Amino acid sequence: MNVKTRPHNNTRLKLSLWLALTGFIALLFADIDIHRASPSQELLRMGQGLMAPNFWSYREIASSAFNTLAFALQGMALASAAGFVLALLYRHPLVRGFCAFIRAIHELFWALIFIQLFGLSPLTGLLAIAIPYAGTLAKIYGELFEETEAAPRNNLLQSAGLSAFFYTTLPLAWRPLLQYTSYRFECAIRSSIVLGFVGLPTLGYHLETALGNGQYNDAAALLYVLLAIVLSLRWWLKKALLPGYLIAALIYLPPTAHFSWANIARFLSEDIIPAPLRNKTNTDYVAVFDWLAMLWQQQILPGVTSTLILSQIALLLTAILSLAWFPLNSRQFFSPLKRSLGDGFLIIARTLPEYLLAFIGLLLLGPSMLPAILALGIHNGAIIAHLLGRYSGELVLREDACTGINRYSYEILPRVYRQFLAFLLYRWEVIMRETAILGMLGIGTLGFYIDSAFEEFRFDRAMLLILCAAILNIIADILARTLRQRLHLRPSPETL
Amino acid sequence: MRLLTVLTALLVSSSISLSALAETFSFTAIPDQDESRLQERFGKVAAYLEKELGVKVKYVPVKSYAAAVTAFRNNQVQLAWFGGLSGVQARELVSGSEAIAQGYEDQFFVTYLIANKRSGLSKSNDFPADIANKTFTFGAKGSTSGRLMPEFYIREHFKKSPEQVFTRVGFSDDHSRTIALVQSGAYELGAVNYKVWEDELAAGIIDPSQVSVIWQTPSYPDYQWSIRGDVDARWGAGFKAKVKQTLLNISDAEILAAFPRQSFVEATNDDYQPIKDTAIAIGLMDAE
Amino acid sequence: MFELHKISLKYRKQTVLKDVSLTIRQGESVALVGPSGAGKSTLLKHLRSLQAAKVAWCPQHAGLVPMLSAYHNMYMGGLSRHSALYNLANLLRPLAIPKAELQTLAQSLALDAELYSRVDELSGGQQQRVAIGRALYQQQAIFIGDEPVSAVDAIQADKMLSLISQRHQTIVLALHDTEQALRVCQRIIGLKDGAIAFDLPSAQVTAEQLAALYQA
Repeated sequence: MNVKTRPHNNTRLKLSLWLALTGFIALLFADIDIHRASPSQELLRMGQGLMAPNFWSYREIASSAFNTLAFALQGMALASAAGFVLALLYRHPLVRGFCAFIRAIHELFWALIFIQLFGLSPLTGLLAIAIPYAGTLAKIYGELFEETEAAPRNNLLQSAGLSAFFYTTLPLAWRPLLQYTSYRFECAIRSSIVLGFVGLPTLGYHLETALGNGQYNDAAALLYVLLAIVLSLRWWLKKALLPGYLIAALIYLPPTAHFSWANIARFLSEDIIPAPLRNKTNTDYVAVFDWLAMLWQQQILPGVTSTLILSQIALLLTAILSLAWFPLNSRQFFSPLKRSLGDGFLIIARTLPEYLLAFIGLLLLGPSMLPAILALGIHNGAIIAHLLGRYSGELVLREDACTGINRYSYEILPRVYRQFLAFLLYRWEVIMRETAILGMLGIGTLGFYIDSAFEEFRFDRAMLLILCAAILNIIADILARTLRQRLHLRPSPETL
Repeated sequence: MRLLTVLTALLVSSSISLSALAETFSFTAIPDQDESRLQERFGKVAAYLEKELGVKVKYVPVKSYAAAVTAFRNNQVQLAWFGGLSGVQARELVSGSEAIAQGYEDQFFVTYLIANKRSGLSKSNDFPADIANKTFTFGAKGSTSGRLMPEFYIREHFKKSPEQVFTRVGFSDDHSRTIALVQSGAYELGAVNYKVWEDELAAGIIDPSQVSVIWQTPSYPDYQWSIRGDVDARWGAGFKAKVKQTLLNISDAEILAAFPRQSFVEATNDDYQPIKDTAIAIGLMDAE
Repeated sequence: MFELHKISLKYRKQTVLKDVSLTIRQGESVALVGPSGAGKSTLLKHLRSLQAAKVAWCPQHAGLVPMLSAYHNMYMGGLSRHSALYNLANLLRPLAIPKAELQTLAQSLALDAELYSRVDELSGGQQQRVAIGRALYQQQAIFIGDEPVSAVDAIQADKMLSLISQRHQTIVLALHDTEQALRVCQRIIGLKDGAIAFDLPSAQVTAEQLAALYQA
């Protein structure tokens, strides 16, 4: 590598200071009070629930678990097929832009839109997962294709075209492609669960009911089922069995919908047209401007501001927690037995969707930004800590290296810091996306106003606000990528 | 406007049922209370309707007020137990639909403002101006008794939005949760459907030493059964009238107690004009 | 066939060949010799680029797809002769015609036992023979090879080179083994310091000329 272009430690330090500074400044403006008279009492009740899960009160546990899997399987099947085709065209800037846009809209927002078109139907769940995931997979597949070794392809006659792709690029990219797709399947299960919170019949549906009503024994049973599904993935998610699973999922939950063309036509041609333009023969620009100004002032600006504030604090907490936790999964600090306990905690924390964690946090701590910050920090911190721990375990230290806190600060931290920043920047855009969504739980981020717009059947406003959230995510995406390039950071895509 | 034929009739609700055929008459209700109570209430209604109407009847539970309206709009359900506001919204979205019956009490419904004892507020007959600068939770965003009417009176009195009047404003999603949140002190004040309050008070769920009613709004029309205009085309002429009569005829004390209403009486779309006007007045709906 | 007139070539932004003029006619077999860094590879790449669609190409580094079998790597030479659908079917399961063709080819390359093994499980010499097989299966009239037998033992190397000679009208090879070059090719081009030191029929090349080529 050319010495001149290698970033100084200085640049990394500067980035770290910036992240810390914005996080702390955001903290000054954040609303992080605890508004619950006795959180410890509620926590105790939850703990009791976890000790005594009630597997019998819900006849629907099995059916909702199957629904969760069916949505995830079908969504991923469609997403990986579409993502693959898009990845073939990924060099085209229009395709790139299209993929960035569809993945910038969270699956819950897609679900809210499709519920208007197709009702609470299987098709809604399928599309809500498939569309944003296709955008993400297209990006990753496209990058994997671009990164393959060029020599085998260049040695062939140039006229081989698509055939050359299947004989050289695809086999070369195949393993990481499968790995990433199976990681993404785990994410799809989480998304599928969260879709239950807006009414699709997955585990999340019953979790929301049980938690909201304080039936913690029932909630515990559902949580254990959720964990069992995700943690057992590696034993039952086999390539050879996938076609069978997919057929079973299609038979169990055919992707049908409950819709009328008239409704869809009305939604597209009337409902999403800004109110001042609707049913008017001549365009009243002043009214449109007033409408936009009102939305900007009352919803977009406050929504974007709190989204930014919350996500910066959450990013800071993620950074702190991942640095504090990664030794739990590191060979350098703990024996295999202790490490498996530590990593067990990290795996459970990363398995629970941040939406669910925030929901539980709100029940415990009352309404403020605090539960959302904690949920985002714990979930994302655990993801980074798990990966960073594994990474640090591969380092070879000299025989007489110091131990304990000295080893941490002198030997390990300087060596993993670059990787840590890379992971953190990758999570940044994810955190931004999730922060907007957590508004649907009543925290004042963009999701709050989007949810309100849907509740008021003002789809014109909902669409505009979703567009704003998408733009915010695209900016974060571009910014994170630029920073990664400037700092020459390139982690495995597993963390996306 | 006649809605086009439904492509497929496989309904999805909390449990997937393959037996739901096109002929199944489905209904839903706004989730204004915790779900076990709703299941109990509407399970009874479904059984009663099925017996009286002679068609298969299914209750479709939903997660939010908006989801109830959307299900009605998409013809996933043909009948719904709406609140005043959600009914107005639904009937705006589905032309030809109409309100056919309301609870006797819904003709003069009220909202209770409730307060945690630590707020130091006590019952008054006039609007309690000293609620300003406290924390306040509404019910669902689309609730009539939990949001629309209390917000209207708050705006009318203070000439400010709730966000400006209170230090914190939340939406609990349903009345049971509003009561629980105020009782636990998570919010100092809340607005709640008086029927749910009295129902839960009688059931012993509420601890009167922690939370109490401090004011009640003037009366307004609230819950009603609304039905789609195209049901006669699917279940035969006179079906709508039959559904209406069946609802008005409910005399089973158990069913009535589950709502709880003393009886059901006739309702028309016009009965809800005041609700629509209020929604427009506080900016929840756009004026036409 | 190939005509270069006072051409300069660059490798990684540095000029490695200056004002080179060269003509190669159909039917010739030409060996490029000279110390490493003399510009042999650069010249070969340039020659290939002049007739990209007509050249069977065998590079210095095999550039195989490690997770595919020797069979599939060699088949790649023939991709452009078939439709994409045919190629895809053959990728999933070898089809009868190419299977028969490649089995014969593998025999002549002494690869018949390894035909269906993944190439990353093969030795360096075997991998190089797979790369030769891929070039042969391109079935072109011109063969350009950059040290095509460097990893193969001496006896096999001669066999491979004569196989290549049999199957192509025109051959251009870069070889570090000058003896080998003299045995196989009719014409030898000596490269040194970015220029052609000599360009003679094999019979006329002297030992002194060759020795001078490799002196610093």
